Amino acid sequence: MMAADPVRAWSDEQLKNEEVPKKDLIKFIQENAAHSFLAEHKLLGNIKNVAKTATKEQLVQAYNQLFEKKRFKGTDVDVVTEQVEAAKISDAPKETKTEPADEGPPKFTKSILKKGDKTNFPKKGDTVSCWYTGTLENGTVFDTNIPTSAKKKKQTKPLSFKVGTGKVIRGWDEGLLTMSKGETARLEIESEWAYGKKGLPDAKIPPNAKLIFEVELVSID
Amino acid sequence: MALEQLCDVVQRCQAIKDEGFSPEDYDLFFTAGRTCIEQGNSAQVLSILVDEKNKNIVRCMGWNLLGSLVQILLKKEDRNLPHCHAILSHLLEVGSPKELLVGLLEQVEEADSASIAETVTLLLKPLQTVLLRLGMKKASSVGMALSTLLSQVTRLPVPVTKEQEEDDVFGLCRCCSALLQFVKPFVEEIKEVVKDNNRISKDNELRVELLKFCMKSLSEPLLEVHLKDPDTLLKSPLRDFATEILIILSSIGESLPDLLSRSVLKRREVPGFLEEEVRYPKESLACLSHLLFVDHIAVDIFPAVLSPVFVLQCNMEYIELLLSRTEESRLQKGLELYEKSLIRVEDNSLPVDLLELKTFFSVPQNLVKVMTLCPDQTLRTKGLKVFQLSIDKFNTEAKYKFFKGMLKTSHHAGVEGYIIKNIKNQIDFSLKPCNGNDWFLGKYLLPLLRLVLCLPHGPETDLLQNLDKIMESLNLLRYMLIRDKEWENETGIWTELYKIEDNYLKPLRTGLNMSKAHYEAELKSVKENKKISSKDSKASVCTVTVDHEKLPHMTPEMQIQVLQSAVFTFDLIESVLGRIEEIIEAKERPLS
Repeated sequence: MMAADPVRAWSDEQLKNEEVPKKDLIKFIQENAAHSFLAEHKLLGNIKNVAKTATKEQLVQAYNQLFEKKRFKGTDVDVVTEQVEAAKISDAPKETKTEPADEGPPKFTKSILKKGDKTNFPKKGDTVSCWYTGTLENGTVFDTNIPTSAKKKKQTKPLSFKVGTGKVIRGWDEGLLTMSKGETARLEIESEWAYGKKGLPDAKIPPNAKLIFEVELVSID
Repeated sequence: MALEQLCDVVQRCQAIKDEGFSPEDYDLFFTAGRTCIEQGNSAQVLSILVDEKNKNIVRCMGWNLLGSLVQILLKKEDRNLPHCHAILSHLLEVGSPKELLVGLLEQVEEADSASIAETVTLLLKPLQTVLLRLGMKKASSVGMALSTLLSQVTRLPVPVTKEQEEDDVFGLCRCCSALLQFVKPFVEEIKEVVKDNNRISKDNELRVELLKFCMKSLSEPLLEVHLKDPDTLLKSPLRDFATEILIILSSIGESLPDLLSRSVLKRREVPGFLEEEVRYPKESLACLSHLLFVDHIAVDIFPAVLSPVFVLQCNMEYIELLLSRTEESRLQKGLELYEKSLIRVEDNSLPVDLLELKTFFSVPQNLVKVMTLCPDQTLRTKGLKVFQLSIDKFNTEAKYKFFKGMLKTSHHAGVEGYIIKNIKNQIDFSLKPCNGNDWFLGKYLLPLLRLVLCLPHGPETDLLQNLDKIMESLNLLRYMLIRDKEWENETGIWTELYKIEDNYLKPLRTGLNMSKAHYEAELKSVKENKKISSKDSKASVCTVTVDHEKLPHMTPEMQIQVLQSAVFTFDLIESVLGRIEEIIEAKERPLS
C-alpha cells in the first residue's frame, strides 16, 4: 500500500453528540471503505437511499469497524462487478420453444428475518400492505418506501396492492403468499420473476438482474 | 371634493351603532374612497383606514376599495405604490375575509388577457392571507379560489420551445411557480392531519379541494405542455410544477399506483361511486401516466415493483383516450406513452387473453387511423413503429388472433399488406427447427390464409387500390411454395393449393387481364387524341374543385403518365403471379 491509511474525520464525542449528519458519515465511508465492506454493511448506492435504510447507530458502528478492521479501499481483491454483470448478459438465455409452463421450480428464495404470527396468510386477491427495501446483488438500493424518521413514517403509508393478481412482479406475488402477518423476510428473486432481460433502466435495474427485497408484511385485508 | 366626502361619511358612520350602515353609506364610502385613490390621495385614505375609531367601518366596507387599489398596484407607478400596498395590507388584516375573498377573486376574473399574469402574481399572496384567516371553514373558499385562478392561468399560451419557456413572455411559468407557493400552507395542513391521525378521511373537504386542483392542473396546462428533460433545460419551472403536483397528490394521501390503476378497477356498486369518477377525470390520469413513464417525473416516489404487463394494462385506457383525439400534441403523447409501456415488456410475452380487453383492440385501431390519416408525417412514421412494436410483444397465439382481427376489420390495403408481411415473418419463424406451433403452421394457419388470399370483389376488384395487399399476398404465397417443400407440406399449403387457385389465383388472373386491356386501350386512345388535336382536347366529364378553386384539367401528358404507371403496376403484379403459376406447374400436383 503506497498511500497512508485514512484518518478518522470525527471523534467519538462528535459522533455521540449527533453533530455529524448521516449523509456525511455515509459519504466518508463510501469514499474510504473497500467495496466488499460497503456491500456487507449495505452502504452502496445513492446516498439518499442509503440514508433511508441505515440508522445512525449502524453507521457509527460501521465507521468504527472500518478503522478497527482496516477495510479501506484497495485492501481487498475488488470484484469487478461490471465484468461479472457483463458475463451474465452475454450468457445466452436458454431457448424456450413456447411460453414456460407455470410449473417449475420457484424463481425466488426466502429467508425469514422476523417471524410473523404464522396464522394469517394472505390469499390471492387479498389486499396486503408492506414496507420494503429493494437492492441489487451488488448492494445498490434502487427502491424503498421506508421513510427516514419516525415522524415521516406516520405520514407515509405502506404499499398496498392485491396480491397474487399480477399487479406486481411475480417474485413478489409468489413470495408474499408465503408470508404471515407481521413477518419480515428477505426475498431473493431471479430476474425471470422480476424484470427479466429488459431490466428497468428508469429505476436503475440492469438487464437480467436478480433483486433482493427486505419486505415486512404489515397487514392483510 | 372626494376627500372631504370620505371624511364626512366616515365621521357619520363612527356614530352608528352595531354596524347598521345604510346602503347610501356604503355607496358614498365606495365612490369617495375610489375617487381618492384614483386621484392619488392614497396617503390620506390610509390614515383614515388605520384609525382605530374606524375599525368597524373598514371591516364592513373596506373591501370595496379593492378594485381601484388593484388597478393602481398593477400600473406600478411609484408615487402612490407604498401607500396603496399599505392600504391593501391593512384591509387584508382587518376586512371581512369573506368579502375580501369575493373582491379579490373578482379582480382575478376580470383581468384582461394581457394582464392575467400580473394580476395573478400580485393577488396570490393577498388571497392566501385572506384564506388562512378563514380558519376551519376555509375549504370551499380555497376550492373556489383555486378554480378561479386556474381558469385564468390556463388561458395563458403554453411555451413550446425551451427558449420560450426560459423567456416566459406570457407568464405561464411564473404563475405556475406562484401557484405552488400559494397552495403550500393548505397542503401542510393536510399533512398535519395525516400525521396526527395516521390517516385522513377521503372526504375531508380541504383534501378534496386540493385533489380537484391537482387533477385540473394535470389536464390544463400540464397535458398541453411538452416537458423538456434536464439535459435540454436544466431549470424548468414547468417540470418543477409537474413534479410538485405529483408530490402534493402523494402528500394528501393519493397513492400514485392506485391512481394509475383506476382505469382497470372493476366497476363496483359503491355509494357515491359516480362522485369518484368525477373526482378522477381520465384525461388528468392520462397526463399523470405520461409524466411518470415518459417524462420520468417524481419517479423516486413511485414504487419499482409493479409488473410491466400490469402497467401496460393500466396505461392502455389512457393511450386509447389520447390516440382518439386529433390534436397532434395528444397523439404525440399517446404514442410516447404506448411506446414506453411496451418496451418494458419482454418480446413474445403478452398472452392472448389480453386481447379480450377492449383497449387491446381499440388502441391498434386508433393507431391505424394515425398511420393512415394523420397529416403529420413524423407521427405517421412513429405510429407505424409503435404498431410493429406492439405486435412483437404478443405471444404467438395472440399474434394470430390479432392478425385475424386486423384483416377482418381494417379495410385498408396498406395496413393489410403490412399485417400480411408480419404473417410471412411468423410462418418463416415457425418453420425453423424447434419453433413449431399450431398457429402459423398446421390447422390454424389455413383459415388465416383464406383471409389473406382473397379478392373482396372477385375479378372485378380494383387492383390498383388493393395493390399493397395483393402484392404482399402474392409474395407470401410465393415464399411458402418455395420454402415449404411439397413432400413436407408443413404449412398445409400444398393440399390447399387447388382451392387457392380457384378462389384467388384464377380470378386475379382474370381481373389482371381485364384491367391491363382496359388501361392499355385508354392509353392508346389518349395518345391518339393527343396526336389529332392538342387544343381541342375532349371535354372532361367532370371538373374537380378544391376550396372553391377549380383544378386545372389534366393535360394529355399527365393522363398518359397516370395510365402508364397503372400499366406498370399491373406488370408488377403479373410478374409475381406468373412466377407462382410457374412454380405450381413445375411441381407434381397432388389430387386436385
